[in-house]
Amino acid sequence: MKLELASFYVKDIQFCEKTEFRDGILKVNKQELIELLLCDNRLKDVELDIARPGEETRIIPVKDVIEPRIKASGNSVFPGFLEKPLTVGEGRTHVMKGMAIVTCGRIVGFQEGIIDMTGPGADYTPFSKLLNLVIVANPAEGVSSYEHEETIRIAGLKAADYIAKSVQDLLPDDIKTYETKPIFESISKYPNLPKVAYVYPLQSQGLLHDTYVYGLDAKKIVPTFIYPTEIMDGAIVSGNCVSACDKNTTYVHQNNPVIEELYERHGKDINFLGVIITNENVTLADKQRSSDYAVKLAEYMTLDGAIVTEEGFGNPDADLIMLCRKLEEKGIKTVLITDEYAGRDGASQSLADADPRADAVVTAGNANELIVLPPMKKIIGLVDAAGIIAGGSQKSLKKDGSIEIELQAITGATSEIGFTKMSAATY
Amino acid sequence: MVKELERAGLPTAHVCTIVPISQTVGANRIVPAVAIPHPLGDPTLSREQEKEKRLNIVEKALKAVQTQIDEQTIFE
Repeated sequence: MKLELASFYVKDIQFCEKTEFRDGILKVNKQELIELLLCDNRLKDVELDIARPGEETRIIPVKDVIEPRIKASGNSVFPGFLEKPLTVGEGRTHVMKGMAIVTCGRIVGFQEGIIDMTGPGADYTPFSKLLNLVIVANPAEGVSSYEHEETIRIAGLKAADYIAKSVQDLLPDDIKTYETKPIFESISKYPNLPKVAYVYPLQSQGLLHDTYVYGLDAKKIVPTFIYPTEIMDGAIVSGNCVSACDKNTTYVHQNNPVIEELYERHGKDINFLGVIITNENVTLADKQRSSDYAVKLAEYMTLDGAIVTEEGFGNPDADLIMLCRKLEEKGIKTVLITDEYAGRDGASQSLADADPRADAVVTAGNANELIVLPPMKKIIGLVDAAGIIAGGSQKSLKKDGSIEIELQAITGATSEIGFTKMSAATY
Repeated sequence: MVKELERAGLPTAHVCTIVPISQTVGANRIVPAVAIPHPLGDPTLSREQEKEKRLNIVEKALKAVQTQIDEQTIFE
């Protein structure tokens, strides 16, 4: 399967009368987009705002971040949501780089995140470096919390699709090609290189803890093979943001750095065969079944090595360790990418589970570390949320508008797929 | 908590969903629970069936604290 990603670099976003992309400037007809989103009668109100890197702006509470993409053919990405759940990952996809859609609005649970566009908080979130078109949307009366989450999730996808249409017929700034061959072809092409796959667990534990594969709730899948390019075309959509530091927004699924790096080294020092997706469910039986199934696939693919990432912490540490132990038992060399909840002083046990075979681990940092976010001139969303989101407490929000909070509240701060600049080393 | 109670001399059963974590942490008497969001209940069952399930887990835990053990034991 072969996919061309054609990039358009966005230098600024402005509200104008007509939605169009020209000379690097994205112009957005605010009213038209608001009306499109309000077609969903489960929404009561929608506002749009722009947050630029370096501005004294705080976005809170953040639910998802999405990169606008569209097929050059005119089809939407995000199969199962905006299109029929038919196979994606081939042909050409137009991508708007340097910007994102950020969804925000009244809190669903206690579980959303913060993006600061400047200051110490901005250093921790990768999304402070993007031009963000922020959708602040609230549900109508009587909409359940499940529908509320779904409504905002779909509004974000629709907005990304609407924006991406502005580049559908244009010539891109550059094109990069990604290709994964069928397994036997790939193995015979590079017979002397170690065969490596990416084992990609998806959070799947209920409201604000769910992920979707071709529109299907990931808690209902058995682990399966997926081409990396399908993921680039929106086959995986995020529905989770609890403890937002280590949850994969849709943006990071679209731009997974593990996949990017494995492609970079494919044919040089490794043979990257593809991705095995699995889930992180709430019962032990599910964890046992899914880890067994993922490892069975890995063995069937005759892997020499696997990279396993994580999404979340606590009980997903058990999924991570089970995968590691079972892969290593099959003789497949395994590297884990995770983060740590080691207490505010960093002295506590980092993961809830452990095994001696987990001897190659990359960390994305300690999510319990406390940070003070200074006051910002502009708040997009609802600052009161700081008192109730995970990582905060009722004492978090200070009178001057500053917030004392754990890193876990900052969207993407300790990304366990490595979409962050933070890590740690053992001496 | 489990370890501190035992250190104080009280035999303790750890009722928990993810048994491997309990084993790693070092609990001695482990009683498997239903699911992370509802360890001692199951919303998919009828009220009567759920009550029976809950009773069963509690009885298992009571039996666990009365059982002499020499090593980490899971009370299935």
